[in-house]
Amino acid sequence: MSAVLQVTDLRKAYAGVHALDGVSFDVEGGSITGLIGPNGSGKSTTIDCISGFQKLDSGKVVLAGKDITGGVSHLIARAGMMRTFQTVRVYEKLSLRDNLAVAAQQFDPASWVDEFFRSKRYRDAVAASEVRARQLVELIGLRKYYDIETGILSYGQKKLVALAAALMPHPRIVVLDEPVAGVNPSRIREIEVALQQLNQAGETFLIVEHNVEFITTLCHKVIVLDQGLKLAEGTAAEIHNDSRVLEAYLGTTPEIAEEEMRASA
Amino acid sequence: MRLGLPLALLGALAIAALPLVTTSNYIVGIGVSALVFTVAAAALNLTYGFTGLLSFAQLGFWGIGGYATALTVVTFGGNFWMGLVYAFVLNGVVALLVGFPILRTNRHAFVISTLTFALLVALIARDWVDLTRGPLGIPNLPAPQAFGITFDSTHKFYWVAWAFSVAMLAFLYALCSSRIGRTLIAIKQNEPLTRAQGISPMPYKLAAFSISAAITGAAGGVFAFYLRIIDTSFLDFYYMQTFLIIVIIGGPGSFWGVIASGIALSALPEALRFSADFRMIIYGVILVAAMFVMPTGVAGWLRDREIARVRKALQ
Repeated sequence: MSAVLQVTDLRKAYAGVHALDGVSFDVEGGSITGLIGPNGSGKSTTIDCISGFQKLDSGKVVLAGKDITGGVSHLIARAGMMRTFQTVRVYEKLSLRDNLAVAAQQFDPASWVDEFFRSKRYRDAVAASEVRARQLVELIGLRKYYDIETGILSYGQKKLVALAAALMPHPRIVVLDEPVAGVNPSRIREIEVALQQLNQAGETFLIVEHNVEFITTLCHKVIVLDQGLKLAEGTAAEIHNDSRVLEAYLGTTPEIAEEEMRASA
Repeated sequence: MRLGLPLALLGALAIAALPLVTTSNYIVGIGVSALVFTVAAAALNLTYGFTGLLSFAQLGFWGIGGYATALTVVTFGGNFWMGLVYAFVLNGVVALLVGFPILRTNRHAFVISTLTFALLVALIARDWVDLTRGPLGIPNLPAPQAFGITFDSTHKFYWVAWAFSVAMLAFLYALCSSRIGRTLIAIKQNEPLTRAQGISPMPYKLAAFSISAAITGAAGGVFAFYLRIIDTSFLDFYYMQTFLIIVIIGGPGSFWGVIASGIALSALPEALRFSADFRMIIYGVILVAAMFVMPTGVAGWLRDREIARVRKALQ
């Protein structure tokens, strides 16, 4: 496996405060990589910087061999990185069908001229997008809402819509910003299963999440950030037993942390 | 929606028949206003309703269009149709130049900038006396001619306005119902999400702003030739207010809602003439009441009911 995403020495400061102080990591193609850390550790800043939603101060971001450092958000998306947002974002007044179609349209070759003349290129693109959308809707279990405005869905369902939208154009990597935060616990398991299936089908994920349980079951590799620095990196088991991680993450000694983690799980 | 196109054609033909069923210049004149105002409102709907850009610059474009068409005929020796084309192109270009910087500002700054633009156009119309004759205006605009017909009465001019409206509305409908229209709605609803999906919002916004300006300008040209005179009152805020009310009552972002409300609201003040003293007060009360009952316009109200029905069916 080779790295789809290579992040090297990422730095970002807000008015002198170092949000990111030299973070480096790789995401292997076909893997699920987790990014965890306490509040203010720089997780959100990291993904905002690599996806072009914030300007980074220095560092290098390479996506599938292409340097996307400091690129504009929509161009980074076109290069193959799709992301979701911590506070869920969907087009509330568009149907689920249209939500998914909009997510894919920039990636097909049909122009407005093709659309005007209903050319073969346009028809093929629409048909392909429809097939993909149907698959994803089936996977996230929202088929009966396909033609309905997404505004009526629950918060957790909207998170699933955002996930499906991010997957629409067959991206090289999907960056999920807290996919299960605020989601009903009974639904978290569904999201887990969906992500595992997608991963088996070859999708690559980078997941930022607070839910340690979720991350450890799902991720092949976990990266721990603390105060803008990478504290540790390894498999879920390795991270779980790393005393530095427990101390930083839970701000307490390993023994008490273990206790708390068991309690929260 | 198989019935959509035949229905629209039938509706358009029915509207075209108005001068045949009445000899009243007054009623046909209201018809001309309704057609032209509906086009201008539909153009505003493209920027405000679809893209979410509250633009008062429409009034400026309306004025530029009116003057450009009048001056083409009176000063530069062209005809009415060329005037409309110039008004269309000139406004499209001006909107690109003005829109490029101001679409980068935030929402409030954008609104203020567009308002300032409209006021500036009004100032120019008043003070560039060599060109516009200032408050004296340009009277006696000649009637348009085509196919050997001179459209010199209100009844005849009605068909000019009709043909223009049908062409512009058909164009706007094609645009709004295409992927471009859907993308504009997406941008209005969640701009960061469109960027995360590889869509650059700026070209879309600029295109919507410019196309809207071009159509509004051409509509201004048609209206000036209906009035047969253009002066500084052509930039009166009354017009902007009319377009905005049509869009807000019809339902921003709904193509057919705005068309229906354009026709209804052009007729309403006239229907209230039974009470000459109070008609504008009654008109105001009706508008306020409509906003209370249907804050998202008629189309929004219908849509909310539909969603409520679907929600119920799903439970």
